[in-house]
Amino acid sequence: MAYQLYRNTTLGNSLQESLDELIQSQQITPQLALQVLLQFDKAINAALAQRVRNRVNFRGSLNTYRFCDNVWTFVLNDVEFREVTELIKVDKVKIVACDGKSLKYFSSFFFFLTCFISTIYPMASVLLNSYTF
Amino acid sequence: MDQNNSLPPYAQGLASPQGAMTPGIPIFSPMMPYGTGLTPQPIQNTNSLSILEEQQRQQQQQQQQQQQQQQQQQQQQQQQQQQQSTSQQATQGPSGQTPQLFHSQTLTTAPLPGTTPLYPSPMTPMTPITPATPASESSGIVPQLQNIVSTVNLGCKLDLKTIALRARNAEYNPKRFAAVIMRIREPRTTALIFSSGKMVCTGAKSEEQSRLAARKYARVVQKLGFPAKFLDFKIQNMVGSCDVKFPIRLEGLVLTHQQFSSYEPELFPGLIYRMIKPRIVLLIFVSGKVVLTGAKVRAEIYEAFENIYPILKGFRKTT
Repeated sequence: MAYQLYRNTTLGNSLQESLDELIQSQQITPQLALQVLLQFDKAINAALAQRVRNRVNFRGSLNTYRFCDNVWTFVLNDVEFREVTELIKVDKVKIVACDGKSLKYFSSFFFFLTCFISTIYPMASVLLNSYTF
Repeated sequence: MDQNNSLPPYAQGLASPQGAMTPGIPIFSPMMPYGTGLTPQPIQNTNSLSILEEQQRQQQQQQQQQQQQQQQQQQQQQQQQQQQSTSQQATQGPSGQTPQLFHSQTLTTAPLPGTTPLYPSPMTPMTPITPATPASESSGIVPQLQNIVSTVNLGCKLDLKTIALRARNAEYNPKRFAAVIMRIREPRTTALIFSSGKMVCTGAKSEEQSRLAARKYARVVQKLGFPAKFLDFKIQNMVGSCDVKFPIRLEGLVLTHQQFSSYEPELFPGLIYRMIKPRIVLLIFVSGKVVLTGAKVRAEIYEAFENIYPILKGFRKTT
């Protein structure tokens, strides 16, 4: 139902690792772990849609784009993320975007961003807010 | 007749042995090699509004004469070649020539190997179908090609989903359109790739660029693992544009050329001129900008513009 887009985020990956540890130590069943992840999908989608309000602008040059199965994938170079308070510059950004409007459960476009920051800074993935269209 | 190969480059767009219902102003130059068919022809008076009637008369006459003369010429060419091979004259003497009515469309003599007379022979009279006026100069404006559409067959069935997932800069939305839309940056073009293996390449500015771009797309598909070939590359459409640098009275043009023109300023601000020969559609605007489209070869664009330029000059806005 909900997009499983957010499982490969810092939050989602931490959850998956924790669940794997619990499965290893036989404290939960794999079926339960799967249910947890499905609940995580629902929760994260709802949270981003309802509880996030701030806005970030970004600008960069487009390296590649792809549109298949209603999913856009962009790779941008030399991107500046601009919030009112601060500015972040990044060499390479991969954006995976799923359609928000086509599913009746959702009313917004969801973005999932992975930033590949230059070697000066440690690698980090940044989860940004959803924009309502 | 492949006389066009010997034409200087600036005239290559102009030679049209078939005659025209549309006015044609070939370049007249004393340096023109004799016998290329572009020696001074009866020049239509471009400022006259009865151009159309003259053209129609000419065309009928020419068609009749053409058939008769083509047979005569072949015999005469053989005679002249034999005679003139013995005499190495720089200019064509009267002895070697059979005076004949000069026909604007067809050759009177074959070009001599090695002799390029400076002036066309005075022994070949021009037949004035219309009063021979000095040839108008060429417009000096060359239309620039803006877009070329071409197709090619890659010769194998393609799995569009694989292509869309693995190639860069590709879009595939089968609900909207049953093809992958792929773009490359050099030459800056867009290709529509269909599952049958056929491909349309648009956006190139020259024939060679269009072919190169199509080959690049074929290589992308090939690298994805499909046995792509490069069959039947064909340029389907060429678009050119230029500026005559003076405003035009479109209303006047549509009145006199109504069988070729359609002008509905409430629908579209440009006059749509459908030239018969060559078969080109021109969009003519008040500003003097002209868009030419529908060509399969570059020469058709040049020819169409050379045909329309004198007409446009006749409808120049004077205020």
